[in-house]
Amino acid sequence: MSLTLGRRERTALLAQREVGRLFAPLWVPLLSALMRWGFGWRIEGISQLRREYARLRAQPGPLLLCANHLTMLDSFVIAWALGSPLFYLRHYAALPWNTPERRNFASTRWKRMLVYVMKCVPLRRGAARREVAGALARVAHLLGRGEALLVFPEGARSRSGRVDVDSAAYGVGRLILAVPGCRVLCIYLRGRGQTTWSDAPRRGERFRGELSCFEPKSDHAGVRGSVDVARQIVTRLAGMERRHFDGRQ
Amino acid sequence: MESEQIRERVIEILTPFVKDRSALEQATSATNMLDDLKVNSARFVDIVLAIEDAFDIEISDDELDSVNTIGDCVSMIVSKS
Repeated sequence: MSLTLGRRERTALLAQREVGRLFAPLWVPLLSALMRWGFGWRIEGISQLRREYARLRAQPGPLLLCANHLTMLDSFVIAWALGSPLFYLRHYAALPWNTPERRNFASTRWKRMLVYVMKCVPLRRGAARREVAGALARVAHLLGRGEALLVFPEGARSRSGRVDVDSAAYGVGRLILAVPGCRVLCIYLRGRGQTTWSDAPRRGERFRGELSCFEPKSDHAGVRGSVDVARQIVTRLAGMERRHFDGRQ
Repeated sequence: MESEQIRERVIEILTPFVKDRSALEQATSATNMLDDLKVNSARFVDIVLAIEDAFDIEISDDELDSVNTIGDCVSMIVSKS
């Protein structure tokens, strides 16, 4: 099965996008307000991060966002770090799609409705190969259409609290090689009090982030090429993590 | 290489990745590597790379989508050998 979609699935994704956009003036500012005032979170250098993201988005070609993963709310914090509610309402394609684990985020009808509206394509970890390929085809289609997509190339929250180069998820590499000219924006974002993985950042957390954009290539073909690309990304994230901790000393 | 030899070599490659060793002892061609042998899906690709090295073949992403059971794996290797 190649990463291509039938017309029905393409239409379904377009419908999901438009439903999300219809409700975006409600949920995008609400979530930002919740993070800012409800949880009291702050992101150091947020203006610089947002400027850099807007600059990279303005350049032609698909842009896949690949981030380190420490909490179940990382997707929200990263989206908030990269753009203001007003920016996302003006540039809805820049608001990243997500691929949450179905068991965590789409287990009830209410949650399924929420993730539908909030630009999510739920995945089932450990699913049959064809099911995984189907989900990859959906997100590859979105990426090719110029939609921002956020993935966590380690495949799960870092159990050691640090980026694990050996856990690079092959599917990320496959996705990139399936979308011609795909650039990768690596995002390293971490709360000052985030010593290891958890469900959510602590109240009042202060985050610090760094962005690094590149276009991965591989001399290998097939599965080995996809693995190579996935490892390049996680290796880059590990380097950003080293800089993060060096900068704190 | 005969199918049975290939199957034995595949089982050998699978062994360190299998959580349920007793299931491996009773494995047949219909045994699903993820569901029955409890191979970690994130490590599945390491098995594929080990198979590529062991049999000197190249497996495409599309071919990988069709591999679920030990029998699928053996058939794919036979078709490429």
